[in-house]
Amino acid sequence: MSFRLALSDEERLVRETARRFAEDRLLPRLRAHEQARGVAPELVREFAALGLVGAEAGAFVRALVLEELAAVDPGAAVALDGTGPAIGFPDAAAAGCRAVVVDDVDDRFRLHDGRIDGEAPWVPADRIDVAVVLKDERAHVVREGFRLTAVKPCGLEAAGASRLVLAGAPVAAVVEVRHGRAHLRTWVAALLVGAARGAHHYAMRYATERTAFGRPIAHHQALAFLIADLAIAVDAARLAVWRAAAALDRGETAEWEAATALAEAAEQALFVGPSAVQILGGHGFMKDHPVEKWMRDIRTLASLGGGREAAEVAAAGLAVEHEAGLR
Amino acid sequence: MIDLAIGAELEAEVERVRGLGREFLRPLGIEADQRGAPVPPDHPFFAMAWRMGLGQPLGVEERPGRRGGARRGVVLAEEMSYWDRGMSVAMPGLGLGGPPLFAMGTPEQKERLLAPFRDREHPHWAAFGMTEPGAGSDVAAIETSAVRDGDAWVLRGAKTFISNAMRADWIVVWATVDRSAGRAGHRAFVVERGTPGVEDMRYEHKMGLVAYESSSFTLRDCRVPAANLLGGDRHYAERAGFKGAMRSFNATRPAIASMAIGIARAAYDAARDFARVHYTLERAVPRYQRVREKLARMARKLEVGRLLCWRAADLADAEQPNEVEASMAKAFAAGIAQEATGLAVDVLGDTGVTADGYVEKLYRDVKAMDIVEGTGQIQRIVIARRLVGLPSA
Repeated sequence: MSFRLALSDEERLVRETARRFAEDRLLPRLRAHEQARGVAPELVREFAALGLVGAEAGAFVRALVLEELAAVDPGAAVALDGTGPAIGFPDAAAAGCRAVVVDDVDDRFRLHDGRIDGEAPWVPADRIDVAVVLKDERAHVVREGFRLTAVKPCGLEAAGASRLVLAGAPVAAVVEVRHGRAHLRTWVAALLVGAARGAHHYAMRYATERTAFGRPIAHHQALAFLIADLAIAVDAARLAVWRAAAALDRGETAEWEAATALAEAAEQALFVGPSAVQILGGHGFMKDHPVEKWMRDIRTLASLGGGREAAEVAAAGLAVEHEAGLR
Repeated sequence: MIDLAIGAELEAEVERVRGLGREFLRPLGIEADQRGAPVPPDHPFFAMAWRMGLGQPLGVEERPGRRGGARRGVVLAEEMSYWDRGMSVAMPGLGLGGPPLFAMGTPEQKERLLAPFRDREHPHWAAFGMTEPGAGSDVAAIETSAVRDGDAWVLRGAKTFISNAMRADWIVVWATVDRSAGRAGHRAFVVERGTPGVEDMRYEHKMGLVAYESSSFTLRDCRVPAANLLGGDRHYAERAGFKGAMRSFNATRPAIASMAIGIARAAYDAARDFARVHYTLERAVPRYQRVREKLARMARKLEVGRLLCWRAADLADAEQPNEVEASMAKAFAAGIAQEATGLAVDVLGDTGVTADGYVEKLYRDVKAMDIVEGTGQIQRIVIARRLVGLPSA
């Protein structure tokens, strides 16, 4: 039988559970988490106890959950799924760990005698248990010897934000990257989809309530078309992420799928975020509404895990050999 | 988890289209484009294809309710259009005349009007005539009138851009019995070939998609037997015309969107092959990185567009409402397909704007995909009505 794009009942249930958690536990403390630069350890434990993204969860289910969390608070989503970025590197991060993965696309890290030197100007954490530094096809796992200095980030404050310095830090393990980078990119892309959806939904609702020139602003065609395009953008990005995640769960390398998923999700989210602010006009610029936060979160997410730049470079490197036909 | 494998059965059908496309569809499409005239109905290819049992895979089922029909439709529509979208419309068969006949026709009408299509020796076409010089997307504005006169209806008006009308055995012509009633006043009539009063039949000269004829004609006191009122009087007394007769899930828009994807994929392949030949040389080519980035963008966009088409088709097969998703697929696919064919022209550079480069043909062909079956603007109106209650007028 031919293709199917519907979710299973079980997947719908997982999504529903994640959505309820996000609305009940993250939404009321959106700005509190931002100011605190983190979520309370009890909340991390509470989320973990739901068992939505345990070690056995596949990339597809994880993408569903991350979208739900990020649709409310992308920063908190990063804090709650502490092992998420490292999930594609077996044994790098045990359950309950807080991991960051740095794709060293600008060649800032140096290896010598089983140690690593270098710095990343920004990682989305104030405290970590493990750092994984990717250099080409090798992943270097570091468990001690980090120096983290708080920085003020553009967005994702709820995850924390630091400059990461490794000065002669011992490399605990070196593993092949294999699917790791594709998992990382899919993870970032899923967060972007969620943030974009949150921004779109909020702006869409606002546009039906706010009136100008005698009707809801959503009924002025300039905004109606923009809102339609934002809806398309979110769905396009989500389907790209689903495709990458499903390929990973089937055991494929998914290098092309994940690179294009991140490229697509970043492009679409970077269209949605500022557009959502635009729809709210002056109110969108104020911190009384969350759209300005999602716009900043999206801008920040698009630089995570090597960012859209590295993803687009990777996709470009594959394009000349790529077959886009029906298989 | 989603599953994007098309399966062995459909893959075999795609493979058959590939063979047909390589040998006939693309060469004939290019030939028609260069000659500036549609492939004539007596071309031996049509008779051969018809004998092989090939008709237009438009995503519209000849047998309603067939399992996986919409999904089969999008896959085959993409592959046909990859080879040549103009030729895919030129293929013999019921075309867009099929859905209204199946949805509204009486058993007697179906039997009588389908009879010629059971002849597998000679190819047959049907057509669908809604568009008028003054009514495109706004179908409620059609002006062709229908007046009852004894055992016949008299049609007066003009139809335009009707695919395959000149070669059709019959055309489903839409007319109004009451202009003030909008769509509720619409009636569908089957106008058979040779009916007196069908005049000035001619094909239009198009920028692209030259291989099939888009015809225009005048209805001058055209008398159509009462038996050719599609569905009979009772149908219109009970239901709201064609729209009411159609199911609420849409398989045509995703199929049309998939045709845009097919054209975009042809452009991608042409650009990629050009890059392989011209940039794998020893000497470094300064714009190689730009070419690769454009190729990556084209492939990414067309693959995402395909996913939107497939989702809409999947919903249709599951008999779930898909109006928003079908319009999303159409709006997105037509947009990115235009972008991708343009990027292909960029990649080929000055070769790209010559007929030898092929991609300039695709650039012309694909424009229509953002116009037919609801322009991109109409799709956004449809989406906005559902999402934010945009009023109809």
